[in-house]
Amino acid sequence: MARWRVGVDSGGTFTDVCLFDEDDGRVEVWKVSSTPDDPSRGIAQGVEEGMRRVVPEAGDQPAAAVTYFGHGTTVATNALIQHRGVKTGLVTTDGFRDLLEIGRQKRPDLYDMQADKPPVLVPRDLRQEVPERVRHDGSIDTALDEAKMRQAAVALREAGVKAVAVSFLYGFIRPEHEARAVQILREEMPDAFISAGHEIAPEFREYERLSTVVLNAYLGPVMRSYIEKLTPRLEGLGMTATPHLTQSNGGVISFSAAAGLPVRTVLSGPSTGVVGAQVIGELAGFEDLITFDMGGTSTDVALLQGGQCRLTSEAVVHGYPIKAPMLDIHTVGAGGGSIAHVDAGGLLKVGPRSCGAFPGPVCYDKGSTEPATTDANVVLQTLNPTHLLGGRMPIRQDLAKASIQRLADQLGLGLMETAQGILSVVTANMARAIRVISVQRGHDPRDFTLMAFGGGGPLYAARLAKELDMKRVLVPRNPGILCAMGLLLTDLRADFAATKLLPLAPGSIGEVADGFATLTARAEEWFEHEDIAPANRQLTRTADMRYAGQNYELAVPLPEGPVTAATLDALAAGFEELHRQRYGFIAEGEAVQVVTLRLEATGLVKKAELLRYPDAGPDASGAITGQRPVWFPEAQDFVPTPIYSRDELKPGHRFAGPAIVEQMDTTTVVPPGMSARVDPYLNLILEVVA
Amino acid sequence: MSQAVSQATAPVLDPITVEVIGAALSSIVEETGEALIRASYSTNIKERRDCSTALFNAAGETLCQAEHIPIHLGSFIGIIPHIMRKHRVEDMRPGDVFVGNDAYEGGGTHLPDIVLAEPIFVDGKIVAWTVNLAHHSDFADRGHAHIYQEGLRIPPVRLYRQGVLQEDIQNLILLNCQVPHERLSDLRAQMAANRVGVQRFQGLCAKYGADVVLAAADALLDYAERKMRAGIAAMPDGTWHFEDVFDNPEIDYNLPLRVTATIAGDSMTLDFDAPDQLRAGLNMTYTALLATAYYVVKSVVDPTILPNAGLARPLSITAREGSVLNCVHPAAVNGRVQTCQRVSDLILGALAQAVPERVTACSNSACTVATFIGQKADGSTWVYLETMGGGGGARATKDGLDGIHVHATNTSNLPVEALEIEYPLTLMRYELVQDSGGVGTHRGGMGLRRVYRADRDCLVRVDVSRLRSQSWGLLGGGEGARGAVECGPGVEFRKEAAALKAGQWFAVVSPGAGGYGPPAARPEDAVARDVAEGVISATRAKQAYA
Repeated sequence: MARWRVGVDSGGTFTDVCLFDEDDGRVEVWKVSSTPDDPSRGIAQGVEEGMRRVVPEAGDQPAAAVTYFGHGTTVATNALIQHRGVKTGLVTTDGFRDLLEIGRQKRPDLYDMQADKPPVLVPRDLRQEVPERVRHDGSIDTALDEAKMRQAAVALREAGVKAVAVSFLYGFIRPEHEARAVQILREEMPDAFISAGHEIAPEFREYERLSTVVLNAYLGPVMRSYIEKLTPRLEGLGMTATPHLTQSNGGVISFSAAAGLPVRTVLSGPSTGVVGAQVIGELAGFEDLITFDMGGTSTDVALLQGGQCRLTSEAVVHGYPIKAPMLDIHTVGAGGGSIAHVDAGGLLKVGPRSCGAFPGPVCYDKGSTEPATTDANVVLQTLNPTHLLGGRMPIRQDLAKASIQRLADQLGLGLMETAQGILSVVTANMARAIRVISVQRGHDPRDFTLMAFGGGGPLYAARLAKELDMKRVLVPRNPGILCAMGLLLTDLRADFAATKLLPLAPGSIGEVADGFATLTARAEEWFEHEDIAPANRQLTRTADMRYAGQNYELAVPLPEGPVTAATLDALAAGFEELHRQRYGFIAEGEAVQVVTLRLEATGLVKKAELLRYPDAGPDASGAITGQRPVWFPEAQDFVPTPIYSRDELKPGHRFAGPAIVEQMDTTTVVPPGMSARVDPYLNLILEVVA
Repeated sequence: MSQAVSQATAPVLDPITVEVIGAALSSIVEETGEALIRASYSTNIKERRDCSTALFNAAGETLCQAEHIPIHLGSFIGIIPHIMRKHRVEDMRPGDVFVGNDAYEGGGTHLPDIVLAEPIFVDGKIVAWTVNLAHHSDFADRGHAHIYQEGLRIPPVRLYRQGVLQEDIQNLILLNCQVPHERLSDLRAQMAANRVGVQRFQGLCAKYGADVVLAAADALLDYAERKMRAGIAAMPDGTWHFEDVFDNPEIDYNLPLRVTATIAGDSMTLDFDAPDQLRAGLNMTYTALLATAYYVVKSVVDPTILPNAGLARPLSITAREGSVLNCVHPAAVNGRVQTCQRVSDLILGALAQAVPERVTACSNSACTVATFIGQKADGSTWVYLETMGGGGGARATKDGLDGIHVHATNTSNLPVEALEIEYPLTLMRYELVQDSGGVGTHRGGMGLRRVYRADRDCLVRVDVSRLRSQSWGLLGGGEGARGAVECGPGVEFRKEAAALKAGQWFAVVSPGAGGYGPPAARPEDAVARDVAEGVISATRAKQAYA
């Protein structure tokens, strides 16, 4: 019987299903419309239809042949953006219930007096204070008042909350009070979803930890109910494989583990794209990558060095700080649907407003009159001027032209110059996003290959590369479904951390060793839960370090083996190297501290392996489907440009820009001065002609 | 050939190149700011982010300021002209770094704000300056009769000469500081930030050509000016007056402050009337007044205008020389932020008569500062300064923000867990204050209360305003509550300071903000929610909303 690995990415307009035949390496793709009211319906439908296509004889058990199921979801993100979490209560140390609201006391916008903070997820009357106080050295200043704690639990129960967050000061150093509070809450409200600081984010800085715990509680029941709906639907299709979900760190965990840690899945969607890019880049021989995932309304960028994307331990997501391991993905609110306009000072601006799927850009003729970036591409004819989506969707270039002409008149520029200008502004905005993850982190983008995917990435990638002086662009075979694909290419992964403020000195060897031993024990427990064979278990250790006195740490990897004096020497050297790279100096003779120990646990699973196709020689002329004039800024004019069909491009094919490559889910622009070639995995590689 | 032509005449730029280079300048100042914060040691920079970064052109005009602290612009606009006055441009070399802080000879607004400025060279010529400012939490427990009591005055001098540290200068500075080790580390972080600024700006010039970058930078100044003019022109013409009082524990009477705002076509004039400068640290230099006025006008006219020198061109800001709002040597200036806050709301009060829908009622109108000074077990001095948010003024369509930093300042709090690890203090409570927000159709923001316990003997000094006056409401809205100082048993607060023994507690309460519109028009359910959440007491709700 055939064995299929299935990846499902749901969140956008479509639910993408990627099916991979373990035996012959065949990849099939199936798309169904998403069902936002209950995403599990669309997913089950997509899996059922997809599997029936590849295993027509399966009868009433179409998913019986699924050996692995990976899923990237925006359920947590959407509940967060739309504030559709559950009624949540909070228990804090006496005197600190308002911390959730005060945050870091900065205003949401420096100049805009009308700006608001994101809504507080627990109203003040559901925030209970309990006398207790642990000190920073782990001693107890005030014991937990259990009677008051029970009163708080009863009050929250009577208020009808569905979830409770517990976060006390220094709970990460000495968790007893929190643990006892959780016990009392469970006794008083057995059905509530309860999250505690020492379990969710046992790290320094009380507000960011509190925010994380509250988010976890707020999203918990939503995620649990989603998983409870999806699991039986998949089982009903005959699936016996354990379903897995991607976390924000790019690794997957089982549904059951994810149900307790929804806050770790807020970047589930984009992180799968990064994982897909990582694997494809590695196969293609490029491990230093900047990913560029451009959709309709937003764009995600990330940097991979040596095949690894930096993991951040904290980020602000949709206005809320989250302490959780997340791939360092930077999102900007601009995409193919972003609208261009002239502002009061006479400059051309693009976004952040977007036309959305409806009415869509002007050229869709659904009533929009404000030009979107898609309209600019239609006018320049980088996009097909008559049809989109592989011919399925007729469009109106005349309407796009008229809308851009109106902008041109305001700017005092020509039509084509304005259309090209819209692309230049978008490109500059994207370049700024990439600088955040590259230059601002001490990396030179010129050392990286730009991997473009999403519907819009390949359209802008060459220009963007040029703006950043990058020499190479990689466009994967299926840019539109890279996220679903990534799900089939990823290992299981969990991250464990413990804050230990220690001097980097021989006296700390024991504590560092003990700390990692505790984390390792937790990781082994997780491996057991996920049913990973010992041979497939991998552990990577890092220490967050800083000069005593600083408050931002650098993550330094630990060498293999037991923790000894040599380990500390290696940490010291690694820290100095990183500090110099990041800040340009080292503070000679200053004391160095270890702040947080981190352990990354990877459970290796059998992954999809992409096929290598044989070389078909350099002649790509067979893939040419026609020619059309395309406006290129290099010529300041329309240039007759060959149009290639992506489906017909074979390994070894080479051609020079200007050229346009069309496929169902995207269009790739090869500008003059760049050449294109196809690699054995059918990736399209664009390079600057020397 | 074309090279020669392009050098001879400034290139004519299209709006798109200008936009692209503008984005690059913003990303340079953001990046330098991030480098400064991450490499620093003092809690005031690394956690509270009391620092700013900017780029200037060779003429000393602001090209771009990172979105940190508006008042810091005051020191920025002052320093380059002072460097130019004291040093010959032809003597400047790559790697020269100037340090300065003085209010009268260095363009600063108070002494703890130390500025590092470095010229950026391209092809042997200065094309721009990278400048950053860090508020060094030092010069504590000083007098404020005149500036000589307030700390070390540093005119712009070279801290680095062609990349080489001038150790004698540095030693002179450090000897005058109470926490020299922290100062040294923060100065290093400031250097790291400047290095980023120089490299990135030179990179930009290498890519587009220095002439194109500078022409784009000029165009961006014109652009900010056009936007400011367009925004002002859209406001009604007229002249409006507004008056408030200023109070502070350093003085035992209230000072009247007045402003006259005139909008005529596309320009605006703000003329201030204030008493003679004081023998107290509450005076504002003219650059501090400018920075404050620019912040408020930009916020009201169009918050999206680029923070560069172009926005100032349609504005005329005047105040009598020698008055509290335009002080001259040797007036003390350390607590000028209190005055800046009041001036911000003063301008809003005048503009409220022109564009009521755009402004807020009076915010807490103070920057509540507590500074703790003590000796560690090893005898060295520790200084911890923190500023508290307060109420944000209610707005035309919604409540004011609770417990935030307003106007000229915008610093983070220090996490309790960072505070207690670093200093012998325990924070007992940190909370929003019931009944502190002014009533109204839209409620004023609430003030904050922070209760500290001293774990070792120390001195606390409080710098604050609105202890004797209240923030005004707008169009029928009620006043915000006063700020306060609360003392535990055995603690005595005298004038502006208190000595704390280990185990004693002390609290600072920041003021609330004014409400907007008549209370009678506040929806019942909003009042009910306020009562349920303890934002307002049942008694006061009954009185105010009937």
